[in-house]
Amino acid sequence: MPLKFRLGNGEKGVLRTSDLLFIQKMLKTMRNPKTRFDSREFVEKGEDYLFNYVGKNVGGVDEGRRNFLKGIVIGIAAASVVGVVPGLRVLVPPVQQASGFPKSLLTDSSGNPVKASSVPVNSPIIMLFEYPLTGEPNFLINLGDKDNNPVAIAPVEVTVPQAGKSYKFPGGVGPKNSIVAYSAICQHLGCTPPYIHFYPPNYVGPSQLTAPEPDTLTAQALLAAKQANVPALIHCDCHGSTYDPYRGAAVLTGPTVRPLPAVLLEWDNSTDYLYAIGAIGVATYPEGADGTPSQDPNSDLNTSQFGSSVGDKTQLQASTNPFSGS
Amino acid sequence: MSGSKRISGWFSERLKLEDLPFFKTPDYMYHVNEWLGALVAASFIYTIISGLILLLYYNPEAGYQSTEAIIQQVPYGSVVLYSHLYGAYAMIILAYVHMFRNYFAGAYKRPRELLWILGVLMLVLTLGASFLGYSLIGDALAVSAVDVGAGIITSIPQLSFLIPIIFGNYDTGDYERVLAMHIILVALIGLLFVFHFFLAEQYGMMPSRKVKPKVPAVYTKEEWFRFNPWWPRNFVYMSSLIFITWGFILAVPNALAYLNGLPQFLNPFMNPKPAPPPNSPAAAHITTYPPWFFLFLYKIADFTSDVVVFLLIGVIIPLIYLVLVPFIDRSDELHPLRRKVFTGIGILMMTYLIQTSLWGDLAPGVEVSVKEQVVAYLIPAIIVALGLTFMKPLENQGKVIKGTSPLTSILFVIVAMLFAGAWVELLQYPSAFTFAVTAFFGSLFYLGAKEMSKVVLTSVPNRALPETRQATVSTSNETKKKFAEILMSLLFILVVILVAQMWTIPPTGYASNLFGVDLGLVFLMLGEAISLYHYVVYKKPNEEVE
Repeated sequence: MPLKFRLGNGEKGVLRTSDLLFIQKMLKTMRNPKTRFDSREFVEKGEDYLFNYVGKNVGGVDEGRRNFLKGIVIGIAAASVVGVVPGLRVLVPPVQQASGFPKSLLTDSSGNPVKASSVPVNSPIIMLFEYPLTGEPNFLINLGDKDNNPVAIAPVEVTVPQAGKSYKFPGGVGPKNSIVAYSAICQHLGCTPPYIHFYPPNYVGPSQLTAPEPDTLTAQALLAAKQANVPALIHCDCHGSTYDPYRGAAVLTGPTVRPLPAVLLEWDNSTDYLYAIGAIGVATYPEGADGTPSQDPNSDLNTSQFGSSVGDKTQLQASTNPFSGS
Repeated sequence: MSGSKRISGWFSERLKLEDLPFFKTPDYMYHVNEWLGALVAASFIYTIISGLILLLYYNPEAGYQSTEAIIQQVPYGSVVLYSHLYGAYAMIILAYVHMFRNYFAGAYKRPRELLWILGVLMLVLTLGASFLGYSLIGDALAVSAVDVGAGIITSIPQLSFLIPIIFGNYDTGDYERVLAMHIILVALIGLLFVFHFFLAEQYGMMPSRKVKPKVPAVYTKEEWFRFNPWWPRNFVYMSSLIFITWGFILAVPNALAYLNGLPQFLNPFMNPKPAPPPNSPAAAHITTYPPWFFLFLYKIADFTSDVVVFLLIGVIIPLIYLVLVPFIDRSDELHPLRRKVFTGIGILMMTYLIQTSLWGDLAPGVEVSVKEQVVAYLIPAIIVALGLTFMKPLENQGKVIKGTSPLTSILFVIVAMLFAGAWVELLQYPSAFTFAVTAFFGSLFYLGAKEMSKVVLTSVPNRALPETRQATVSTSNETKKKFAEILMSLLFILVVILVAQMWTIPPTGYASNLFGVDLGLVFLMLGEAISLYHYVVYKKPNEEVE
């Protein structure tokens, strides 16, 4: 029953029912000797005292109610934290694990398959494709003799000087069995192209001794090439490691103590397409305390965090000619 | 019980929470209008946190690919990326709202001139950092936006030395420099924010015009001491605002991610996904547009072919005006209707900004003749000038004016934008239909403006009124508080259900954006619960908006 008074014709409300009940309750509390309202303090402090008094004693928010509400807020906050927890997975980088070697078709930069018969022989331009993971470059080389005629590369036993063990390099593929592919990461300290690259026969000569980096050949490399009777080389300009592309990238000169791992290629003679199907030799990245890589090229596939599997296609990039400057 | 009290007491004593030099707040200031700066800061902090997470994955040498990798492969990567984008959007919008609110409140006046200038600088830095962040995506839109931006700079030969400084080797796909500049600008914003914040704490919040109608609007030490201390009421209130802001930033873009095939004119505002890369065949078929916060510049470029004129209209004159306004408007009046010229300029700046942005969105790259420009820009100016001439600050008749809630303000802003958009359409394609649409939104806008004007233009006489309390002021808000308590319990149940569901959402793929929507909702409900707690525990029955 709201309190109203009549004024002329209009009825004007003074207090709502709830307010009336509240005032009754308040007056009762004020008269209660236990919680007596201190009118002297009220005069001193003004309405702040009144509101504090009401908040404390009349309905208001007493201690228990406040704690209950606090509990709810803390409960919601805790639930929110629980909700954020699965979101913390955003901090875990997606690690791409390749469980095995994919069979990847080699394509050119516009996506068309590379034809084995059109890979240039003894090309000075560095031809690279990523395999088996992105970020792992490999050379594709069509080997020829001094006169740039393709040379069939026979299967050969390759020794790993560091471990004293050896493995069988299966030889070249393609119409003339002259196409090979090797990892383009130097086994000495991991230099990548253009520091390590292929030297065609016309660049294996004394004039390269004084050529600017990255095309310098060391005297040891030239000597080793002469002794082994190889017309072309893979040479790393960082520290002078030399590999023999005709014999499974075996070590010709140090400081490397391991041959370059070879990528296994498959040539489809009906379509002339090239596929990368696996790798042989040491693992791409050395593991273990002594820096000896595993003999199993599979071993760093599932631990490598350097890239994701290239999938069923990999692009052949032929954009850098290291000799253009010299 | 006493144990928890002792622990909290231990902490507040060690951390000296009561003595922090933070401003004490009078009761009537617990309304979002007084806390717009906190909203900007909340979105700034959110954007920094999400940006740091993105920094773990972003590769400036492969901008587009790594953006795609973040969206496709990183667990909840798209949630973080989209909300990073919309965090920046929220920051820009809120910074504009914060600025214009303070402009109309006269908050740039003595002694807050430096505070204002710092704020304007921060707005410029925010827009710059946002532009650079947008460029980092590396999609066709970003590349074209950078082309346009670099084109504007190079067309002034004296400025072309800036190109390598800002963009580095952007053209060759190396975004290293843009990433670094993005981070540097954000760090600068953070630095200026520290100054801005402590200056603001120093002067205190801008008192209501009812209390201090004249410059300098600051509370004296004596008044100040009677207010609510920073801990705990301000803290509670502020955390509710922060969580609500974060909730919107998370929920909105992740929900929008499920919309596909929007009409082109909605894309700049409502599509959080990157466009195709610039070198793809698909890129030839998309309409390029700048980020929405530069749409106004994009349209101004259609007005003139002279870059210097363009920069003067679009950037330099408005900026110089904003920086200098504390020194031009030297009267000690705070009421907007007692400094009509500046109020008028402010309204026009706001109108032109929205109008030109929408125009740039609807009709990008369409040349505009001088006649059309005059029609489009003179009409609002005439309306504002006439309106202001005839409006007088009303004497207070003692009627209680209710504050508008943030929701109605947002609705009003949307109606205003729709009206402006309809107006532009009408100018472009005058027909019965566009006229009807414009008239419809116009009347809505009028009604809204009438409602809003009560709040915005509430008059204050120069003499301070004797405090006359209304007879009808309620002595108790117990019923409402009971209701708030029930709501809080319901929110708790809802949050628990949602959180349980969140644990089942896959971290990548189509469904992963649901996680962002849910987390946003959880934050919204947390913010709402804290806000209700604030209402129940701290709200006094005699608090009003002043």
